[in-house]
This record gives sequence, C-alpha cells and structure tokens, in this order.
Amino acid sequence: MNDPVVEVQTVTKRYGSYAAVRDLSLTIPRGAVYGLLGPNGAGKTTTIRMIMSIIYPDEGKVALFGGRGDGKNQSHRIGYLPEERGLYKKMKVIDLLVFLGEIKGVSRARARAAALEWLERLGLGDWALKKADNLSKGMQQKVQFIATILHEPELLILDEPFAGLDPVATQVMKDTVVDLARKGTTILFSTHIMEQAERLCDSVCIIARGTKVVDGPLADIKRQHGGSNVIVAAERSASLDGVLADTRLVKRADNYGNYAELELAAGARPQQVLEALVRQGVTVSRFEIAEPTLHKIFIDLAGPQAQPGSPEEATHA
Amino acid sequence: MRKLVAVIRREFLERVRSKWFVIGTLLGPVFMGAMIVLPMIMAEKGGGDRTVVVLDATTEGFGERVTASMGQLPRMSATRRDVPLEQIEEVATDLAREVGTTPLDGILLLTDNTVEGGRAEYRGANVSSMTDMRMLQATIRASVFAERLRRDGVDPAIVGRAQIPVELATVKIRDGKVTGESGEASFVLAYAIWFLLYIAILLYGAQVLGAVVEEKTSRIVEVLVSSLRPFQLLAGKVIGVGAVGLLQMGIWLLAGKLLADNRAGVARLLGQSDEAAAAIGSFSLPPVPVTTIILALGFFLLGYFLYAAMFAAVAAMVNTEAEARQAQTPVVMLLVIPSLLMVGILNTPDGQMALTLSLIPFTSPIAMPVRWAASPVPIGQVMLSLALLFLTVVAITWVAGRIYRVGILAYGKKPGLKELARWVKG
Repeated sequence: MNDPVVEVQTVTKRYGSYAAVRDLSLTIPRGAVYGLLGPNGAGKTTTIRMIMSIIYPDEGKVALFGGRGDGKNQSHRIGYLPEERGLYKKMKVIDLLVFLGEIKGVSRARARAAALEWLERLGLGDWALKKADNLSKGMQQKVQFIATILHEPELLILDEPFAGLDPVATQVMKDTVVDLARKGTTILFSTHIMEQAERLCDSVCIIARGTKVVDGPLADIKRQHGGSNVIVAAERSASLDGVLADTRLVKRADNYGNYAELELAAGARPQQVLEALVRQGVTVSRFEIAEPTLHKIFIDLAGPQAQPGSPEEATHA
Repeated sequence: MRKLVAVIRREFLERVRSKWFVIGTLLGPVFMGAMIVLPMIMAEKGGGDRTVVVLDATTEGFGERVTASMGQLPRMSATRRDVPLEQIEEVATDLAREVGTTPLDGILLLTDNTVEGGRAEYRGANVSSMTDMRMLQATIRASVFAERLRRDGVDPAIVGRAQIPVELATVKIRDGKVTGESGEASFVLAYAIWFLLYIAILLYGAQVLGAVVEEKTSRIVEVLVSSLRPFQLLAGKVIGVGAVGLLQMGIWLLAGKLLADNRAGVARLLGQSDEAAAAIGSFSLPPVPVTTIILALGFFLLGYFLYAAMFAAVAAMVNTEAEARQAQTPVVMLLVIPSLLMVGILNTPDGQMALTLSLIPFTSPIAMPVRWAASPVPIGQVMLSLALLFLTVVAITWVAGRIYRVGILAYGKKPGLKELARWVKG
C-alpha cells in the first residue's frame, strides 16, 4: 500500500439533495486488480467519473499516482472504458483509433501502428478500413476496448466492462485484462456481478447507496466473514441426521441425505461439528469449511441497504 | 494544443470527406445560379401574353389611343369594344365569366370620367401581378396626360417631346470618392451579402448542433471528455466546422465569380438567344470593394462563433435529434429577426432600425455588413458594433461552455431554467 495509484479521500458528491456518493474512501495499490462492487445505483459510475475528473466531488479529494495529479492532466496514463460507450459511426475504424490515441497524447504514427497491431491481435485486421457502422456489436466492443488500452496506460479503469458483451468479446477482454495485470497494469473495474469480481480481483470495495460497506484484499474479507459454513458428505444414517438436527451446533442445514450444506449456530466452531460426527460413528467422506462467496458476503453486509430504491446512476451527472 | 489540433483535424477531414460536403459544394452554385436565372426565364416565358378587352365608353377616340399604346407593351394584346355608358356594367359582368376560362385575362373599363376625374377600372385575374399593374397604370396615366393636353389645344408634337422619359443614373460615394458603383449595384451587393451570411451562419451553426447531438446520442462523449477538457472539445468542433464553412464558401465564391465572368456563355448554354445572352453579358455586375469583403468576413466569423456556441449549448441539453430540432427554435428566431427586417434596412440603411439592428450583437453579424454594403457607415459605429459583438461572443461562449460541460453527460429530462442556472454556476 505504500505506492497507491488511486487515493479517494472521504469524497462526497451530491445531486440536489440526493447524495450519490457519501464519505467514500478507497486506496488502490500499484499493480492491483481492484473491484468496485455494488448494486445498480450504488454510486460506482459517479465514483469512477470523479477519479477521472469528469465530474468533481463536493467534498473530499481524489489523488492519482501518489498525489501528483488528477484525471485530467494524467489522462494519458489512464485508459478509461465508460459504461456508456460509443463510437463515431461514420468514421473508419483505423482513423477513429488514431484519433482516440491522439487525444491521449500519442503521436499519429505510433497510434496507427499500435491500433493495427491490436486490431490484428483481436481478429479485426480486415476491418481497419471499414466504417464503424459496418461492424457487428461485438466487433465495436473490441474496438472500444482497443481505444482504451492503445496508449499503454498504467491505470486501466473499466466501468461495467462485461455488461452487454457477447461471449467472444467477454473472453477476449478478460484474457487481455489478465495479461495486462500480469504485466503490471493497475486495473480498477466496477461490476454488480459478484462472480466476475471474485475470479478476477485481488482487492475489492463494496459500496451500497453511495457509502462503503467493506473494502480490502479479497482473501482478508473472506477470512473475516467466513468460517460458519461447512459442507459434509457422509453415509446416510440416523446418527448423521441427529448431529445435523443439533441446534447448539447447526443453525440451518440443507440436507440431501448423504450430502449437506450447514450454516453453523452462533458460537459453534467447525471443529466441534467434526468431533460430534466422529463420536456418533458417522462415516465421513468429505468435510469442508466452505469459503463464503463474495455474493453471500455482499448480501449479508449490504442486504438491507442494497434493495433498489435509488435512481439509476446514469440519469445523474 | 496538440489535442485541440487533433479535434479540429478530425472535425474538418470527416466533414470534407463526406459525400454531403461534395454534393453541397457542387449543388451550391447550381442552386444559386438557378435562383438568379430561373426567375428571368420564367418571367420571359411564363404566363404568355396577357389578353385584355378594353370596354370603351369614351368620346373623341380616347379609348382607341389607349388601346393602341397598350398594344405596344411587351406581352400584352388589347382589343377594344365600343360600349354605351349605360350598358358598361352589364357587359363587364358578362365578360367577367369568361376570364380564366377563355384566353382572357382582364377587362379595362374606360369612360370620359377617366380623362376628367382620373379614374379607370381594371378587373382581371392578374391584378396581383405588380409588374402587369405597374405597366398598365403607367400606360393609362401617360395616355390621360396626353389627352388632357390635347383637349386644351397643345400641339401633339410638344406632348410627344414632353413625354420623353428621364433616366436617373445613380453612383455611390464612399469616403468622399465616387466609386463607380451604381445604386442598383449596391442594393444587389447588400442583398447578396445578407443572403450569404444568413445561409452560412444558419448552415454551419446547425452543423455544430448536429455534431454535438451525435456525440451525445452515440455516447462517445464520455470517452472524449476522459481525454479532453470539454472546452477543448467544444472549441475544436466549432473551429473545425468553421474551417469547413470557409472552405465551402471560398469554393462557392470562386465558382460564382467564374460563372459571373462567363455569364454570357452560361446564358447561351441555358438556351437563351444570342441577343439575350449578349445583353446579360453586358449588364454590369457590382464591383465588390475589398473593405466590404473583409468586414463581411469578420462579422461572419464572430457571428458564426456566437451562434455555434448557442447551438452547442442547446444540443448539450437534449437527448435526441428530434428534441434538438425543437430546442433550437429560439436560437434560429434570433437569426431570422434581422432577415425579416432586411427590407427596412435596405430601404433606409441609415435609419433608426438599421442602426439599432446593426448594434445589437445577435443581429449585427448580418445587419452591419448589409448596411455597410448599402451605404456609408460611420467608422465609429462599426467599431462599436464589433466591440459589442466581440464581448457578447466571449460572454456567450463562456456560458455555453459551462452548459455544454455538464449537459453532454446528462441524460434524461431536459433541464429547466433553474437547473440550467445551476449548471452555469457549478
């Protein structure tokens, strides 16, 4: 954490009387793959726009690259794929990419070379001289993604990158993101789909209704909120059912006969359950302390607040 | 700066390469030429001859003389019918039924009262044609004038000499020098400047509107503002479109000059007879003073910036092209006002209205160059007008830039005035 790429410090953004983001702080270390998670309307896009200096916070501040700049004067070091993304429909793909590279400060020649290389790599080599209009949706998504990474940014910000993507484009984008992360690019992406974040991120920040619910390295969060779920596979027997029915140990059991998912009672430890099973002579073939899914942690923590009820993010700002 | 250049270059090249630019640039001169030539051809060929029946209840052969001089008018054939005074109404009513169904355009009623009381009556289908009526009136007036003198015993030869028409040649003086520019020529020049400025500001201003709406609806704008300051984007767009406008107008003016220089040949190509073509060729076109061109160009640029900024702000407030068309109405109205009052400016270029319109910044980009072309304008007024316009451009661009900055990222409901004020302040 001693080399933060993004520091958001107690930031608040209001639209009229509605606070889209309230007292939010988060830190993204260099080289991290960082997930900004939350339901629709939680304030993810607003937060990202403030990081990009497209809008400015009412309170608090955002510092990038160790406090040396903001999203405007450092924009050449950042690649940003907004949630609402488009292309100039009448432009040739290559001209469009060169232009988008140019406004990131890349020279025309370098932008052209990089664009052609990426088009080739993502299987769009034959489409460079076609108008953006003539491309399929999936191809356009690839072009948008190329525009985001063309200038070799140190920080990549992807707002709901997989929303509306076809499976092929999703795969391509995921592979490229993982590849870039391996090469040291810091990546911030927002999503409301927890499964994606769980597989890609090493740190997350979960927000709901504009405020932070939890943040930190994914492993820490899981450790803090895990340990109360157990999976048992055993021979079907009355003694097994007896242990599962013991309310001092088990709060709730999803019992399939010779397989069960348990949620432990408050204060009970997995070790005690295993001891009880052995004592009762149950033949255990599998005993696993299950990690909670991010989805479950999210529902547990943000459940009451996460209900929809706040307006769509996109209608603001 | 490099980013701004990139935006300008994209805006310029994409437009110049589009087929609409090519079509527009080619069709412009064709259209302009057609607007000048077509009315001439239509006026000559269209409508055919007017056939008029003269109901003559006069004595002393006055009706015959009127009919004869009407017969000498171009495109007019007149036949005379003797009618007793008591029956003239009856006959006229009968004849009226034939107007329009047979080759009969109108009926002229002449009585002795025409000579004495100065009253004649014409009933016809073509009474709204100013040219026809002016010719008819002039002919009757001249005949009555001659008839009165004849009845008072004046020698017809003297009457003939008295009626030789006078032509007033008008030559404009500017800065104490005779310019060789006729009054008619200044009028034509002022009219042409009005037309060009109006079309150009409206055309290219609306293109800025379209460009902003396109970026907003295609949602590329958020990608752009993550790399550019909104003002860079706006400035690049306005300058890029403006450059396209200057290029297009340059081509048009050049084409216009070539057409004008070879107008006799063009007229012949369009099927005019050799004499008519020669006549068109010998008609002297107004020389265009360099100062007028510079002044018109300066006011065009400032006017274009002013309206482009307003169009951009309007476009940033809306979500779709349909909404934009509606929302632009107030801006277009500002531009239309001086056009509606143009006749007034042309008739009295030094009048109160012309002065006011040429000082108000929203109307001055068109009104001042028109005034300048039509008559001399004190240099102090030009300077004042320019200064006011410049300050307004700065102020409006600032406000428009603020609205644009927030508006391009705002989707959903169109903002009210209160909301807009917050955008500008925020």
